[in-house]
Amino acid sequence: MKGLWKFLSPFAPDQSGSTAVFCELDGLIIIIDAGGCAGNICGFDEPRWFEKRSAIFSAGLRDMDAILGRDDRLISKIKDVSRQIEGKFVALIGTPVPAVIGTDYKALKRMIEVETGIPALALDTDGVHYYDVGCEKAWLALFRSFTENTYGMEPGHYGVIGATPFDVPKEGLHFGGPGIYHCYGMGSGVDEIKSAGSVIKNLVVAPSGLKAARYLARRFGTPYEVGYPLDQIEGFDGFMDHMRAILSADMDVKKILIVHQQVLAHSLREELRKHTKAMIQLASWFEMDKELREPWDIPLLEEDQWIRLAEEGEYDVIIGDQHLSQAIPGYQGEFIALNHFAISGKPLGFVI
Amino acid sequence: MVTKKQAYNISAGELAALGKEKIPKELVSNTHLIYSSPATLAFNSPGAQGYGVKRAGLSIPGSVMLLVSPACCGRNTTILTEYEEYRNRFFFLTLDETDIVTGRHLRKIPQAVQEVYDCLEIKPSVVMICITCVDALLGTDMERVCKKAEDRVPVPVLPCYMYALTREGRKPPMVHVRQSIYSLLKRENVRQDMVNLLGNFDHLDDDCELYPILRSLGIRKINEISRCKDFGEYMEMGNANFNIVLNPEARYAAADLQKRLGLPSIELTRVFQIDKIRKQYSLFGGALGVSIDDSAYYEETLKHIEEFKSKYKTLTFSVGEGCNANAFELSLALLQYGFSVAEIFANPGETDFVYLRKIASLSPDTRIYSNLEPTMIYYDSFDSEVDIVVGKDAGYYYPRAAKVEWSKDIQPFGYAGLRHFFAECEKALGGKEKE
Repeated sequence: MKGLWKFLSPFAPDQSGSTAVFCELDGLIIIIDAGGCAGNICGFDEPRWFEKRSAIFSAGLRDMDAILGRDDRLISKIKDVSRQIEGKFVALIGTPVPAVIGTDYKALKRMIEVETGIPALALDTDGVHYYDVGCEKAWLALFRSFTENTYGMEPGHYGVIGATPFDVPKEGLHFGGPGIYHCYGMGSGVDEIKSAGSVIKNLVVAPSGLKAARYLARRFGTPYEVGYPLDQIEGFDGFMDHMRAILSADMDVKKILIVHQQVLAHSLREELRKHTKAMIQLASWFEMDKELREPWDIPLLEEDQWIRLAEEGEYDVIIGDQHLSQAIPGYQGEFIALNHFAISGKPLGFVI
Repeated sequence: MVTKKQAYNISAGELAALGKEKIPKELVSNTHLIYSSPATLAFNSPGAQGYGVKRAGLSIPGSVMLLVSPACCGRNTTILTEYEEYRNRFFFLTLDETDIVTGRHLRKIPQAVQEVYDCLEIKPSVVMICITCVDALLGTDMERVCKKAEDRVPVPVLPCYMYALTREGRKPPMVHVRQSIYSLLKRENVRQDMVNLLGNFDHLDDDCELYPILRSLGIRKINEISRCKDFGEYMEMGNANFNIVLNPEARYAAADLQKRLGLPSIELTRVFQIDKIRKQYSLFGGALGVSIDDSAYYEETLKHIEEFKSKYKTLTFSVGEGCNANAFELSLALLQYGFSVAEIFANPGETDFVYLRKIASLSPDTRIYSNLEPTMIYYDSFDSEVDIVVGKDAGYYYPRAAKVEWSKDIQPFGYAGLRHFFAECEKALGGKEKE
């Protein structure tokens, strides 16, 4: 049945994705909710929240605020906070409540800017979509609002777009070559976003960063490259040893399925193709960009669809988050766990 | 007075002088944005930690829950499903954008309930349908939807409301869920020797004196929902002589049982002032027309406290609200036992002024903070000379202090609760005496 999940729990929502992008940027982040969404975002989807203080607030909406659309009260509360706490910007993050009452985000943004004198971003996330949609909106809003015009490239400087704890377990993603890497949102701040037009190339590590990379390419002519540095994933060497062993042991591996975010899965497919001629399909619960998609790749929408795919797809090996395996007791092949924080809340890594 | 980069706080003396009519807006949560820090997670996010609506809604033995909501509302349930006791008990009907605007998902619920029922090898006793803010705004008549769903399965289907929007309303979610979980009870053969303890989702400490005290009054069967082995035993609760309400959030449920089944109730409050515990048992006995002899428990507990006091003479506490106690009442008790309380992290309600006035007379300089107030982002315990902190929230502010979380699911009560509290303090202090 559409929408019914009997074995799996819901994945990280769009509001968590947007918050993750803003988390380290010294803004005032305001979740327009009653309290529960902010708790879910911070307590489950944002590991950095436990380690350092972030100015993340809940609007603390009550039923009459929502029914009567009392935006003036929200603006007044935001104004009060902006006097007490310095923020480089105000980010409004939508949840199901403003989605139901049809909140006018553009008007809210304008009113906040007028009342506080601080630049504001307003994202119409609604808790219905997954984290990648929220990340994508946040990246695009950030670069559109803050990136300044530039008059030249900085040789040796690279931008990294798409990094949040959902896809990157910790700061300091390395890409092998020399250069200065500005990993937006993880280890760098608004100043780096402002000067994003001067990097010589953008590296996109998750599909959520693609729209922003294309925007920067259009505006500044900055080229971008899509790929995930696989050697940075916990357990990658052990995984490759294991795969080489099963692929060389005449185990007749004909079909492999990788279920993850598309950029990482794509890089993994490219790596595995160096060792096997097996058919390697990608499936993803999250956005799949045409640029990386092969004709047999599958966007996943429903739990029933996942069960059918895994149990009837005749895969010899499935690589995906451990949480997904609990829905497919009938799957006969080998399931290799590659955890994804957006699915199980467990840090990215192979579990061999 | 708050200067920039300082967390708002007020002394107990100043707050008591202002009175409950003039509580500063910094201590009234609906007047400002809510600061979301790890200190507030346990109690400010329904379902995030401890017993939120989701866990509470599954208190009926053998029940399962269908959460009908946008996917985001079910996100933290991933943690719960890893616990054996909650495996195969949570199911999700996720809403899309059209659903949340039109409410068309309501038509799908009966079929979803049936599919959940059919897929389970061990059939559930009850299906709880948990709905969230979206349905609060859509004005969903979930009682009606549940009745429709009951046509498809041979078990009761009950509503459960995780409406964070109504948290400060007349019937907040944790009040509502307590009513829901007792709403199936029927009264058939009243047993004079049976009582129900209402309000907690887990039971009292096994050594709590309330059990032997009730037995001394001729009570043979003491029901608590978490100790019910199966659905049959749960249903037996309807035949109790009376209910004892141990948490004010269960008053509504008790009133409902009184109205529906004629099942009366009496309320006992969890306090940590030993004289108040004694007085409460005396009043309890008076209400039942009997005399309760609690002297042995009283003496034993007093001895325990005296030993602790002689070992830790001049301790200074910070007390948070993220614990199994009213932060103001516990602070008052600690002051009465001769300790110092430097800070209280809690939003005072009107009823807390009974304690606050006494705190103000014993310790006017005790500082009151609100966990939820935005300037708490600046709170810094660096210069503070606190020896021990109580509550998960206070523990967050003092990462290196001796900590008593005091927030286990099993509930402290009465003399036993007080003894356990000081035992936990002793454990946290590591037996290190303070001169």
